[in-house]
Amino acid sequence: MESCDVLIIGAGSVGVPLAMYTAKKGLKTIVIEKNPSWGRGQNRAAIGGIRATHSDPAKIKICQESISIVSGLKDNYGLDVEWKSGGYLFAAYNKETQEAFKGLLKIQKAAGLNIDWIEAGRVSELCPGINTDGLLGGTYSPEDGYASPLMTSTAFHRLASEAGAEFRFSEKLLSMKSSSGRIVSVKTDKEDYSAGVLVNAAGADAAELGSLAGLDLPVYPDLHEGGVTEPCEHFMEPMLVDIRPDDKSGNYYFYQAKTGQIVFCITPKPQIWGKDCDSSSGFLPLVAKRMVKLYPRLKNLKVRRIWRGAYPMTPDGLPIAGYPKGIDNLLLAVGMCGQGFMLGPGLGKILAETIDAGSNGCSQIFSELSLYRKFEGMELLK
Amino acid sequence: MNRIKKHPVIDTDKPAGELEFRFDGSNFTGKEGEAISSALFANGIRHFSEHPKDGMAQSIFCANGQCSQCNVLVNGVVRKACVTPLAAGMDIRSIKGLPPLLTDDKPAELPGLEHFDCEVLVVGAGPSGLAAAIELAELGFKLMLVDDKPSLGGKLLLQSHKFFGSEEDCYAGTRGYDIAKILENKVKTHPNIKVMANTPLAGIFKDRKAGLYIDYKHYGLVSFKALLIATGAREKSILFPGNDLPGVYGAGAFQTLVNRDLVKAANRVFVIGSGNVGLIASYHALQAGIEVAGICEILPKINGYKVHADKILRMGVPVHLGSTVLSVEGDGKVERITIAKTDQDFRPILESAQSFEVDTVLVATGLSPCDEFYKQAVAFGFTAVKAGDAEEIAEASSAMFGGRIAAINLAKMLGKNVKLDQNWLDKREVLKSRPGDIISRNAPIVSSSWQPVFFCTEEIPCNPCTSVCPTHSINLKPRKGNMLDLPYFKGQCKGCSACVAACPGLAISLVRLRDDGMAEVRIPFEFDASHFETGARLLALDQDGKPVTEAELLAKQYNKKYRSWLLTLKAKPEDAVRIIGIRVQDEEVSRPLPVPSFKYLPDNAIVCRCERVTVKEITDFIKANKVRDINQLKTIRVGMGACGSKTCSVLLPQVFRKAGVDPATVTDGSLRPLSLEVPLGEMAEVLEGL
Repeated sequence: MESCDVLIIGAGSVGVPLAMYTAKKGLKTIVIEKNPSWGRGQNRAAIGGIRATHSDPAKIKICQESISIVSGLKDNYGLDVEWKSGGYLFAAYNKETQEAFKGLLKIQKAAGLNIDWIEAGRVSELCPGINTDGLLGGTYSPEDGYASPLMTSTAFHRLASEAGAEFRFSEKLLSMKSSSGRIVSVKTDKEDYSAGVLVNAAGADAAELGSLAGLDLPVYPDLHEGGVTEPCEHFMEPMLVDIRPDDKSGNYYFYQAKTGQIVFCITPKPQIWGKDCDSSSGFLPLVAKRMVKLYPRLKNLKVRRIWRGAYPMTPDGLPIAGYPKGIDNLLLAVGMCGQGFMLGPGLGKILAETIDAGSNGCSQIFSELSLYRKFEGMELLK
Repeated sequence: MNRIKKHPVIDTDKPAGELEFRFDGSNFTGKEGEAISSALFANGIRHFSEHPKDGMAQSIFCANGQCSQCNVLVNGVVRKACVTPLAAGMDIRSIKGLPPLLTDDKPAELPGLEHFDCEVLVVGAGPSGLAAAIELAELGFKLMLVDDKPSLGGKLLLQSHKFFGSEEDCYAGTRGYDIAKILENKVKTHPNIKVMANTPLAGIFKDRKAGLYIDYKHYGLVSFKALLIATGAREKSILFPGNDLPGVYGAGAFQTLVNRDLVKAANRVFVIGSGNVGLIASYHALQAGIEVAGICEILPKINGYKVHADKILRMGVPVHLGSTVLSVEGDGKVERITIAKTDQDFRPILESAQSFEVDTVLVATGLSPCDEFYKQAVAFGFTAVKAGDAEEIAEASSAMFGGRIAAINLAKMLGKNVKLDQNWLDKREVLKSRPGDIISRNAPIVSSSWQPVFFCTEEIPCNPCTSVCPTHSINLKPRKGNMLDLPYFKGQCKGCSACVAACPGLAISLVRLRDDGMAEVRIPFEFDASHFETGARLLALDQDGKPVTEAELLAKQYNKKYRSWLLTLKAKPEDAVRIIGIRVQDEEVSRPLPVPSFKYLPDNAIVCRCERVTVKEITDFIKANKVRDINQLKTIRVGMGACGSKTCSVLLPQVFRKAGVDPATVTDGSLRPLSLEVPLGEMAEVLEGL
């Protein structure tokens, strides 16, 4: 039996930065991951956007932390993750969208976010060549941005390892034993562990892991596909989001990475549930049609690679964080709803502080993201 | 213009319209429809673009649509020069750094998608794919046969040498490009086969569909029940400092430029690797009037067929055995190569370094199967088989049987009641055999009637001499009991010289005694002999290229069927039985520099060519991050380039070893579509209302 202070299940978007923070606090941290290396679950499929401009205060706070962490990796640790503060631009092509965006601005500004309505002319400046036919303007948040998920997770893995966190790859969790309101041991296919705190950061596998502890976690993965083009000279600045649905898809968004490639993805309609992360033939024709209609000059840009990843969805589109009733040492950090990459660093930092403090602190976030909330509605900017 | 105007075995008078194009603002002429890369090389342009990472000059590497090293801007859009046909008025530009995206903001006119349906999708129309398609079509399956090149035949099209194997089974004695035509005709006229040439597969998808880049112009999707993957092989890259200089490229690329497009791509080459590919490429170079300074081989013995090596040695090209490349150097292009002997652990002995001045280095260090579609298909649970080099690297003759066998196996998997002919399995085994033993032969006693002399001393799967002899006097002497056995003469020789002309190894002569006590010897000669005057004295060589004597040329005749000259020389009888060649290349060409000139910086070798990542960058990253998963190398962009790690993946195991990691403990990189880049505008589904 190996014992540690913090045992994290999942070396992904949440688990790796969390391990970095707990290890930095001197807590003996072990991370168990079924994949052969870090970030190989949902993190590898993230396209790289990080924004604080959500509609929910808890997510806003977490992502503000994330932006500060990721944007500081280069200056603080010399690790370039290709962060760029290119902003997020939600374009509006009809009155209803415009009104909805403007309505949200009030909440966002109240939360202290740097976001505002910009007119069509300014949209064209930020995205030269965008289809201006019917373009009314959009909301623009210049402090949001994007980074390379591969570089970012590698940076966190490196910093976590250097801080003393141990990663156990290709290791599968088999069972847990609990006694008087605590998980007392965890069995994997290689070892038995006991931990002060066990963290469920298992992404798309969160519900299965929860069931081992007798919990019914409402986390259901649905599948999204993303892609990357060949690189070209820099021509567009923000992450451009078009939330208009059509008959086969919901929103789609893309940005130009620092290295010049356009990275893109689309929300399929209806949703595709499951964990089958093999690419399908329908994605490219679908997303290509919408991208070149919105941005005609993209027609000449070639797609290089595509991939599929899972969004561990909750019924209301918000994550679940906190301790479940009756299990004192099981911390949930699940249901990132496709935003693990942007939520993970901030959430990792906040959770590490609560673990270190030995408290159920951070009450605002834990209450908003509680497992026991009503799960009503759906976040507008999902 | 660097064009090949005269070639001993390839027609140089193929009609092709001349046209004008622009490159970086200047006017040039090229041939309509030829690959842009060939047109640029023909105009002496080898520096195509400059890499965004460090400005390094970029040029061709595979010339086969695989690697993307040859990208240029064609009318404002990035295209692979090697698979984009030249057209009149084309504006071709270097890409310097990141290419600009054409600011064409008109609403896109979308061609829309084409949708197809078939029972079996055969991918690749080389020898195995063609053979498989014919077999499946005969069994009644409805097929689609797609190939990424405009003409069917795969690498057969580049093979101007006569084929080994046997005549009845695999067209032995016929040149590769002629075999391609025969097979192409068969598939194109078969009612069950829909042929789509110039149409690479862009990817296969979990919903049992494949993406096609039709004519490199628009995207299509094809549904299939089963896949037959016959996508051939690609040349392995190799690690040495300077492996990224323009002028270092694959032997296959060289054959494409020289044999297919008749471009005199180099003045003097050095070849790395003495397998059949390297040996044949050297021979092709000489035939195209290109000098070959030498061949180096890390193994202590020739890796290809002895007859091919013998031919090369006779032409005057030395093979440096037990030697490796230390560096290739030059100012933005290849100027010299330095090789050195290796110790028993294959480490170079720097003191033995020799430098040669060349302008081109051909990489012929082996092939790796293009089997990624097959791997994905299996992972997806599809019904799929592979054939040809995609299955196992072997000769085209074996691949044709491999294709037929794969077709039968697939038919069985699809529920057809068919039986596999054991004979095919045996033939494939024999045809793909590595060379057997070397068997010494006794020189025949020269008599007044003609008789053949065989310089064929190594067991290889080959027997055209036995089938062309009109008196059936050449037969294989049973030892192994199959085609590997060596031919011997017993019977009557009419002096027709068919065996001399047909032998792919140029390893048969005819001799007879003259009335004056001298002998006549007739040898094959696949170089231009039109300027040889009868009565001239030619330096005649033995099997290994050692001079035998100066022999008088008595007669020369051209055999049209085999496109080979037959030279009849006069020599003493004891010399005549040793003569089998005439030196082609001056000894001066293969002489090293008086003093070797090189820097030995092995860690500077480029591993990922697309993203220009060196050995050192990768080993440092592996150590710093405890990497045991190739996917993590994407962090430093290894495998993130256009080629999708087709080129670097075979090199990574040795890089991990250099970093002190056992490659067996390392997880493979994930394979994902697309396998070639397709513009967004050409793959958009056009629906109502757009």
